[in-house]
Amino acid sequence: MAENKKDNLYLNPVGKNVPRIDGRGLVTGQTKFTYDIKLPNMLYGKMIRSPHPHALIKNIDTSKAQKLPGVKAIVTAADTENIKFGSNEFFFPHTVDQLPFESEKVRYIGDEIGAVAAVDEETAVAALKLIDVEYEILPAVFDAVEAMKPTSPSIHSHVRNNIGLILPVNFGNSERGLRESDYIREDIFYTQSAAHACMETHVCVGQWEEFSNKITLWISHQAPFKVREALAKCLKMNLNSIRVIKMASGGGFGGKLEMLPMDFAACLLSKKASGLPVKMCYTREEEFSFSRRKHNMIYKLRSGVKKDGTIMAITGEVIADGGAYCSYGPTVLAAATMRIFMVYNIKNLKISGYRVYTNTPISGAIRGFGGVQSGFSIESHMDMLADGIGMDPIEFRLKNITGPNMVTTNKMIISSNGLRECIEKVTEACDWKNKYRKQSHICRGIGIGIAADVMGSKMYKSHESAGSIIKIEEDGSVYLFTGAADTGQGSNTVLSQIAAHELGVDFNRIKCTSADTEITPFDTGSFASRVTFISGNATLLAAKDAKKQILEIVANELKLDAEILDIQAEEVINKDSGSVVMTFSKALELCYSFNYGKQIIGTGSFNPRTTPIDFRTGEGNVSGSYGFEAQVAEVEVNKETGEITVLKLWDAHDIGKAINPQSVEGQIEGSLIMGLGYTFFEDLKMRNGKVMNANFANYKVPRSINIPPMESIFVETKDPQGPYGAKGMGEAALLPTSAAIANAVFDAVGIRLKELPFTPDKIIKALKEQELNDI
Amino acid sequence: MKITLTVNGKQHELDLNGNETLLEVIRDHLKLTGTKSSCDEAECGSCTVIINGRSALSCITIACDCDGFSVETIEGLSSGEELHPIQQAFLDKGAVQCGFCTPGMIMSSKALLDNNPRPSKEEIKKSLDGNLCRCACYQKIFEAVYTAADKMAK
Repeated sequence: MAENKKDNLYLNPVGKNVPRIDGRGLVTGQTKFTYDIKLPNMLYGKMIRSPHPHALIKNIDTSKAQKLPGVKAIVTAADTENIKFGSNEFFFPHTVDQLPFESEKVRYIGDEIGAVAAVDEETAVAALKLIDVEYEILPAVFDAVEAMKPTSPSIHSHVRNNIGLILPVNFGNSERGLRESDYIREDIFYTQSAAHACMETHVCVGQWEEFSNKITLWISHQAPFKVREALAKCLKMNLNSIRVIKMASGGGFGGKLEMLPMDFAACLLSKKASGLPVKMCYTREEEFSFSRRKHNMIYKLRSGVKKDGTIMAITGEVIADGGAYCSYGPTVLAAATMRIFMVYNIKNLKISGYRVYTNTPISGAIRGFGGVQSGFSIESHMDMLADGIGMDPIEFRLKNITGPNMVTTNKMIISSNGLRECIEKVTEACDWKNKYRKQSHICRGIGIGIAADVMGSKMYKSHESAGSIIKIEEDGSVYLFTGAADTGQGSNTVLSQIAAHELGVDFNRIKCTSADTEITPFDTGSFASRVTFISGNATLLAAKDAKKQILEIVANELKLDAEILDIQAEEVINKDSGSVVMTFSKALELCYSFNYGKQIIGTGSFNPRTTPIDFRTGEGNVSGSYGFEAQVAEVEVNKETGEITVLKLWDAHDIGKAINPQSVEGQIEGSLIMGLGYTFFEDLKMRNGKVMNANFANYKVPRSINIPPMESIFVETKDPQGPYGAKGMGEAALLPTSAAIANAVFDAVGIRLKELPFTPDKIIKALKEQELNDI
Repeated sequence: MKITLTVNGKQHELDLNGNETLLEVIRDHLKLTGTKSSCDEAECGSCTVIINGRSALSCITIACDCDGFSVETIEGLSSGEELHPIQQAFLDKGAVQCGFCTPGMIMSSKALLDNNPRPSKEEIKKSLDGNLCRCACYQKIFEAVYTAADKMAK
């Protein structure tokens, strides 16, 4: 019996490969996504967008469109309160810069002016063509460096030289650090913009209930509570007048973290159409052209090291192309400039980040925030510094990395830290010793990149809290209500595993509801790799609370001390004697019996202990815990064609504790492949502010034939604050992939690639330059 | 225009305008929303169904051209509680993340195994080239298809 229980996947499920709680619905195609919603009398909406990158709006005439049969509602700024929204309102109020509908000025091709709802999509599209908007075209600027010049057109009147945000990070004395260095080098890295390209495009259905003046919005999203907050603000409504229901969501990757004008429009159009539901669904072309995208960055670094490998100073400048509005710009820039402190023990550092407005689509959050761009730049630069002093890149990193139980120069408090073990394990797994510098005769090489990640950032609100409710019914079936948004990463499964494990019940007893702002507790959302750590802790607390309530009833009935009781594997046990007191089912019958009638409702709320960041310097402890990883790529370069083949990727990851090892692997592999796509081909091509490759034929994302073998190695450091020691890990594996590949290319053929993506033409060019230099 | 379409073994008489895609007919007329579309231009594979035993992209297939054809969609795979071995393998191997590409991916896998019951890992990789998975669950998908083939052969 005991053996059977041990082998049972669903008892004590933490650490086991429990299949996805929502898996059956997904593999049978029965799960409903927002994309699948079709309500009676539903209307279809389309946005009225600017065709110009920069222009003044002189007049908007919708009268012809109003008369088109089938058109049910048209909304413009005249129907709104003209209240701006943004994503980092608490720390950066000046970055709240976007209106749901612009009425005076448009700043990018696609800028929203209003929306139309009609009986079908074709009619809505036809109506758009009948809307006359009179523009006065302004000169536009599409390049961040160009936009910073005083002579460039001004995109927002509240800033100078189009610099929307400056983040200076400054610690120690970098000038002195450089002076005392034995070797100094300067590098400039260029990274491109990229798209989330979720399989389910942005989609929502809004419905305004006239009699109660209440909105319901069904949406594919990562942060339903943030949508609610922005809608309430822009519509001047109470939070409880807006119900946001997150449906099964076909991917997010940072692209579904904000309210978009389309979400606002769906609600307002429904109001104007007397409460008929309105669906807004981006086409793939709209998705590529008008959603948020990755900031393309120029990353300049000038650093100095001692001969023994000690990093003396790192200085630099980051210029991020922000596009027309700020979106999550502050968080992205902070991640690009401050993350280095989690990885390297640096005393002297001075990096200034600039986020610049341009007349291009809005740059925002995307998996890794700014960590991908900085990861490529810093990890390539580190390899070059090591090479410059003739030191092994592994040894160089081991000498300079952060460790457990330390406070970093910028006052981040690191408790568990398995970075050293990650580096050791990954180099062992890939056989680094026998490969590094030993395969260039066959154009093969191996390279490393390391990274760290936060678990929440406390940058969207002043707090980062998650709530969880566990309700247990008289038959012992369990409801878990969480505000955390599962967009495919498997958080509903992981949170249910935590709940079942802590309650001591079979995983199959759990039904998980996430996320409905009217039913589930508040949660800031799925971003910053925070859900397992923060929502996981909230769920753990709720389970503890529910269990305590049950045990108190049992103890009362049996005249025992509740403290000596526990529930394990479906049985209430006496911890002192080890004996079984009663089954879990019996205990629940007792709770709901004639005498007790006690409803079991456990609640949990968790907000990690951190300290606010001082954004004038970069000082502060942004996260309750930190995750780490080391990654190795092995490549082969074809000198004739310029093609790089990735032979294998290894990733050793300090994930604290794998609640669901299979899901952890899925996140690591998914990140590696996204990193691979960004390294080789993902690139939003722009011309005069317009996206030129707005389809999967021309914007390449990784396909099955591009997938190299991958190996995930877990380092379980058991974080003291993590639920069962677990940390978040949905993003970190993406951060150093480009650098690991770039470093491997250097090992293979001796060229340094500083501009992403690594297309064959760039390889050939670099090889030719190398040949010329050798002559 | 009147056509007869057999979908998951059930015969449907349909009266169409003529320009509807098979995807529209499956999703809007027959209310089988398991089949998805992510691009509407034959680039992503989310809309994959099986027509007369061969995988096909329903977003670029004109329904009227399918008069008399037999179509299989994701809804036709499982019977009641029991999942098709490919569906079960996707679940067991962790080959599902967001799940939006999953129906198309499973239908492509089924078409492969129907025609080539013991494919090599390389053949699996090549035959799923038309199906995008942005969560990049590919390695687990390959394992799932390989495992399902193994199970189905026994």
